[in-house]
Amino acid sequence: MSLYLITFRSLTHAQRSARLLERRGMTATVIKAPPDLTGSGCAYAVTLRGRPEEAHALLRQNHMRVGRLFRRAADGTWEEARP
Amino acid sequence: MIYLDSAATSLLKPLAVEQAMLRALRGMASPGRGAHAPAMLAAETVLDCREEAAALFHVPDPERVVFTSNATHALNIAIRSLVKPGARVVLSGFEHNAVTRPLHALGAEMRVAGRRLFDPEALLADFARLLPGADAAVCTQVSNVFGYALPIEGVAELCKLHHVPLIVDASQAAGVLDVDMARWGAAFIAMPGHKGLLGPQGTGLLLCGETGEPLIYGGSGSESRRQDMPEELPERLEAGTHNVCGIAGLLAGIRYVRERGTAAILAHERMLLDMLCAELTGSGLELFTGPGQTGVLSLRFPQLDCESAAQRLAEHGICVRSGLHCAPLAHESAGTLETGTVRLSVSPFLSEGQIRESARILRNLAR
Repeated sequence: MSLYLITFRSLTHAQRSARLLERRGMTATVIKAPPDLTGSGCAYAVTLRGRPEEAHALLRQNHMRVGRLFRRAADGTWEEARP
Repeated sequence: MIYLDSAATSLLKPLAVEQAMLRALRGMASPGRGAHAPAMLAAETVLDCREEAAALFHVPDPERVVFTSNATHALNIAIRSLVKPGARVVLSGFEHNAVTRPLHALGAEMRVAGRRLFDPEALLADFARLLPGADAAVCTQVSNVFGYALPIEGVAELCKLHHVPLIVDASQAAGVLDVDMARWGAAFIAMPGHKGLLGPQGTGLLLCGETGEPLIYGGSGSESRRQDMPEELPERLEAGTHNVCGIAGLLAGIRYVRERGTAAILAHERMLLDMLCAELTGSGLELFTGPGQTGVLSLRFPQLDCESAAQRLAEHGICVRSGLHCAPLAHESAGTLETGTVRLSVSPFLSEGQIRESARILRNLAR
């Protein structure tokens, strides 16, 4: 199952999003976002295994200010994905 | 010692408050400053506190709960967000200096509504008359001097009707009365953490119906390349390191309040206040009482100024506050500006026996 990462500008939104995903049965972890993915300095991200469409839709429904979605490539880099 | 100064600061707190603060002191770092375990534990505690406060005060989103140092700090953010120099502001006749001083500093044109103590109808009539064309309104939910519960629901309705943004000072109401962000549609609601919410000093909350303008600028742990403050709440209004130990204590205090229930706390405090008033009837003390009063009572001695009276009470182990209570406008409204008052305020942890003993000492001093 692929590893996905969703970026957030706000730690609070990242945390709330992780809690929402956990309540839906997804394993979500808040991390500091890799700097090359954000460009605005410090930012946060939530990682999850699989179910990116479902996760993205759930967060949108709950008015979370979601940033960009990435999938871990085989070489370990993050490539942007579409929800 | 009998502590009757909870309207200033709640000294008696649930044991869980100090335990939570100690846990935070020993194991938590700063939220938004790292993703290591102590930083994330702090971040989880801070979010837990936002969520508990949002649930208690009917705030739609926890990020609209902003942490401040105290209610004064929160009120300054709210006022500076809405009031421009020279703006016309309607305020109740029972506001604290935390409201009037920032308005004065901004050169706001202040129109005062409702100068009569325990007269909510007159206050509403004044607000209805003064609100059209006003830029903002500020109303305390409870007078910190007299325990007068102002008709905040009615004021909120009038503000909606006239499209005037409302700032509520819930300093004496939070933890005791219903505070309802969603129903009132207030622009901001400000409160301390260290009074009815039973948290430690140095904590406060600003509930934000609007995004607001930062009062101070600095690190937010996010969007660090930008020189503007972030646009999103709560980071926009929370520059600098959080008071994590304080927030952990506040979280425990709010959980206690939610578990016991504000209705039960209010009932207990009103029962104690009624008992105190009954015990003091015929004592010669001048009591300021009225319908809907919360657990705050102002009084005057017949032959003793309020500062001397408070000193004598302190010598008997009774802790009260005396003077103007940082609310000269309220005293002016009530006609006590020249003398001030002695203020007694009860708490959820005070007993009937302590009230009887306090009344006995008050009666003796009034002779």
